[in-house]
Amino acid sequence: MPATMPKQRPLNAAVLPGGERGAAVPPQAATAPAARYGAGLFLRVWRSRWFIALRSFAIFVGLWALLAAWVASPLQLPSPATVFDAMVGLARKGELLSQTLISASRLGVALLVAAVIAVPLGFAMALSRELNAYLDPIVELLRPISGIAWIPLGLFIFGVGGTLPVFIMTYVAFFPLLLNTIDGVRDIDRKLLAAAKTMGVTRKAQLVHVVVPAALPSVMVGFRIAFASAWAAIIAAELIGSPSGLGFSIEWYRQLLMSPKVFSFIVLIGVVGYLSDLVLRALQRKLTPWAEGLGIDA
Amino acid sequence: MSVQMIQPKPAPKLRLKGISKEFIAPRTGQRTLAVADFNLDVQPGEFICIVGPSGCGKSTVLNMIAGLEKSTSGSIEMDGKAISAPGAERGVMFQDYALFPWKSVRDNVGFGLRHGTAGAGMAKAEREDRINHFVQLVGLKGAESKYPHQLSGGMRQRVALARLLANGPDVLLMDEPLGALDAQTRLVLQVELLRIWGETGNKDDRKTVIFITHGIDEAVFLADRVVVMSSHPGRVSAVLDVDIPRPRTEEVRLDPRFAELSEEIWSLIRDEAYRAIA
Repeated sequence: MPATMPKQRPLNAAVLPGGERGAAVPPQAATAPAARYGAGLFLRVWRSRWFIALRSFAIFVGLWALLAAWVASPLQLPSPATVFDAMVGLARKGELLSQTLISASRLGVALLVAAVIAVPLGFAMALSRELNAYLDPIVELLRPISGIAWIPLGLFIFGVGGTLPVFIMTYVAFFPLLLNTIDGVRDIDRKLLAAAKTMGVTRKAQLVHVVVPAALPSVMVGFRIAFASAWAAIIAAELIGSPSGLGFSIEWYRQLLMSPKVFSFIVLIGVVGYLSDLVLRALQRKLTPWAEGLGIDA
Repeated sequence: MSVQMIQPKPAPKLRLKGISKEFIAPRTGQRTLAVADFNLDVQPGEFICIVGPSGCGKSTVLNMIAGLEKSTSGSIEMDGKAISAPGAERGVMFQDYALFPWKSVRDNVGFGLRHGTAGAGMAKAEREDRINHFVQLVGLKGAESKYPHQLSGGMRQRVALARLLANGPDVLLMDEPLGALDAQTRLVLQVELLRIWGETGNKDDRKTVIFITHGIDEAVFLADRVVVMSSHPGRVSAVLDVDIPRPRTEEVRLDPRFAELSEEIWSLIRDEAYRAIA
């Protein structure tokens, strides 16, 4: 997807001091003569963001089809059409949905556990210099170790089952949540704390009503990164250490030499990840509407 | 130049005695004297404007009165009691307003009453009435549920003023509150500020105000007395009485006395202002 889109918020410059909006020039004005002949509508649709995305997707599938025809090995690279057929078949059997639900519920548990530990710890580390001095070296030591590195050890501890993927994902989700929470608390605008102090607000109330909401946009960013990292890690964990889930399904159909089905699950992972991020973005806008105005975005 | 000695009156609202502030740079250890030997007595209900070239330590003086910064030497007293920490009886209006971006206009105005000491013993209905009153007073009726990022600069400034007043402080400390606004909005809000301060009403009902500005005409228009500061280090170079009667209206700007006082202040800071850009 395109990384940037033109922000179409009204600028402050368009707002008069008293608060009334200035008479804005309608954006259609420039294309008005063309619109009279119907060409304006066509151009607007043609240039719209979703239509560009659609074309981009079509080009991608086209290239894939060409490459598949050139490789000519359904085992190595099945064509888009065969993958689509396989997906329809798997969807009819309910396998796509059931496996997605299994993986998604593991992800949900992992994100919840990670957030419950990482967010309060992040606040504590940002607010206490001493605690930070104790924990920061350990965090920095563990952070570069990929979650996947713990899978062999996890197999000894948890065995093959649902616990191992949850453990790996919790580990992976923990660090972005922790570090973004710490950053969010540290980057708080000192003026806001000063304002609260001069209004006679106690330290405890400052924490609840200033520090926590001020850090929330950064925590939300951390949550989105945690989600993306955990979703990437779950496949590896389920591939090796689980009897169910999307990662397991990929490995299962690989062993059966059914590439179209392997591809079906790969496509599904991408689609679910993309759609979930859209939901998280919407949630972010809903929970921290002011952050957009501050220019905080990930 | 009319440098005036402060008449010894029985109970000043604020007494700043020999205040100095030295900043020490964290790594180099380099010392900078920002404010030196600052003396000022402020009477109850008095409107004081502090003017001076940028970097003269005006804001530092204000922050020390607010209790946000500690003075290196000297003492600051309010009603005869030494100030050491921030308190609700000294409200501050910050230069960039410092509104809580996650709170609506109404919740910003009510922040101190709901979470601070000022509204602690207040019944909920009384608190809400107070918030309504000040939202109305600054002309924000109808915008209560908006968020700061949806407001223009002038409106944000009004929210900050309502928030300051709703908390009911004895002393209002205002750090260039109109500084970020365009010239026309400034003029309108200067008149409004005097109205809200209670210029037309009883003199005893007025709050004590310390107002920092770099606008000379703004200082003359608003103040009972203007404190002129010089920089490096920041000290009081003169205190001028503004003997223009209240209530002041737009016509005051045409008063020859207005021009005279503005000229006098300008002559005090002109050399430094030129040196600063040379």
